[in-house]
Amino acid sequence: MKRTAFTWLLWLWIAAVIVGAFDYAPLAARFIGQSSRILFFHVPMAWAAFTAFVTAGVYSLRYLFGARQPDGLRDPRHDRAARAAIELGLLFGVLATVTGAIWSRIMWGSWWNWDPRQTSIVMALIFNGAYLALRDAVEDAEKRARLAAAYAALGLAVTPFFFFVVPRITFSLHPEPVINASGRVEMESRMLQVLLASGAGFTALFFWLHRLRTGLLALADRALAAAPRAALAPAAASRAPVASTE
Amino acid sequence: MSRPASTWTREAAAVFAKEWRCELRTRYALNTLALFAINTLVVVSAGLGPLGAVRGQSGETLPVLLWLILLFAAAAGLPRSFVHEEETQTATALRLAATPSALFCGKLAYALTLLAGLEALVGPLFLAVMNLEVARPGLLAATLAAGGFGLAAGSTLVAAIIAQARGKGTLFAVLSFPVLLPLLLLSVELTRGAFGGGPPGMALIQLILYDGAVTTAGLMLFPVVWNP
Repeated sequence: MKRTAFTWLLWLWIAAVIVGAFDYAPLAARFIGQSSRILFFHVPMAWAAFTAFVTAGVYSLRYLFGARQPDGLRDPRHDRAARAAIELGLLFGVLATVTGAIWSRIMWGSWWNWDPRQTSIVMALIFNGAYLALRDAVEDAEKRARLAAAYAALGLAVTPFFFFVVPRITFSLHPEPVINASGRVEMESRMLQVLLASGAGFTALFFWLHRLRTGLLALADRALAAAPRAALAPAAASRAPVASTE
Repeated sequence: MSRPASTWTREAAAVFAKEWRCELRTRYALNTLALFAINTLVVVSAGLGPLGAVRGQSGETLPVLLWLILLFAAAAGLPRSFVHEEETQTATALRLAATPSALFCGKLAYALTLLAGLEALVGPLFLAVMNLEVARPGLLAATLAAGGFGLAAGSTLVAAIIAQARGKGTLFAVLSFPVLLPLLLLSVELTRGAFGGGPPGMALIQLILYDGAVTTAGLMLFPVVWNP
């Protein structure tokens, strides 16, 4: 009941953000046409992708170094949570990249400019893709979880360098972040309200989807564990009449 | 389980010596790294023309090529160290003989010496073939040392991961590239400074911090990668 209420509240919130983005917030100065409205979705998507990345790193660390199960094995729930976060990070990362490219085409005249934030998000996407490729390359479930968790933790260790190094090296055309180097919030109040509401909405959306995906992966694991028994049962049944005809 | 420091050092030194003994028997990594680097250097040099890149632009473009040659040569030779253990089924014996941290440091020292040799070969050749003059040789040496260290540390951990997976060769490049990109960007920026005479600024400190972060992560994560 509580969960249903939360889901409905989330959809209402997102709907209100959409209405607010197109009707309540004013257009930003020096932006071509209506292009500034994409900001209310593009920035929260990038934020959700970042949240997903950190979530995956934290769950991976918990998988590797957290409390073990009574049988001495590592807790597979943390592995499923890390994998789900990486998959969602890929989804939100692609959405942020596409919305960013659309905006870039309108404002800068080209789809891609190797802007520092574009570089960072592409590297995050490649990292997420590499994580999933690694998972596909290992057959044993425990080994797969352990190696993937170690790789995600390594990614977490080098992440700060993407945020501090890449923007410093490359010239950026990107609009100033909401809270800039001087620590001041420079945005029209209604725009800021919608942006913050959208940020909160997308963060909640990420965690809602994450819970769903983690549950789905748990079901898939349970089905896989039961699969050998189910697969053997019909085989045994089909062998019986063959044996009787001989 | 903690062991005395002298035992740990002996284990790490033994792993390092074993790596070089095995390497000198087959010379697989030495041949791969050296020939791959020289072949790539010849291709790059021939592609840019007999006199090197256009004067005035060479300082901008050539550092990228130098670090790409080093990265891909490392990717061709370094994973072998762990893949070989899995293929010859010596990994279990190694697990019994040395603590994971000593093993990691022994393998890291081997990768470091291999990369130092590669840089000693490629660096002067690159400068000669491309007609480059170095305005700040000290900065170039520091960049090659710090960049090489980070490359070795990142590659050692990724090599330990991919050795236990399928499709090892291609997987190494896929997994190591996102991890090594900050190192490449910083090294390229510093090498540009060394060629053009610009000050290193914060980049050298950031590169050393990156090395520290990757080595710490390696020491922390290697035991869980190596031991089931």
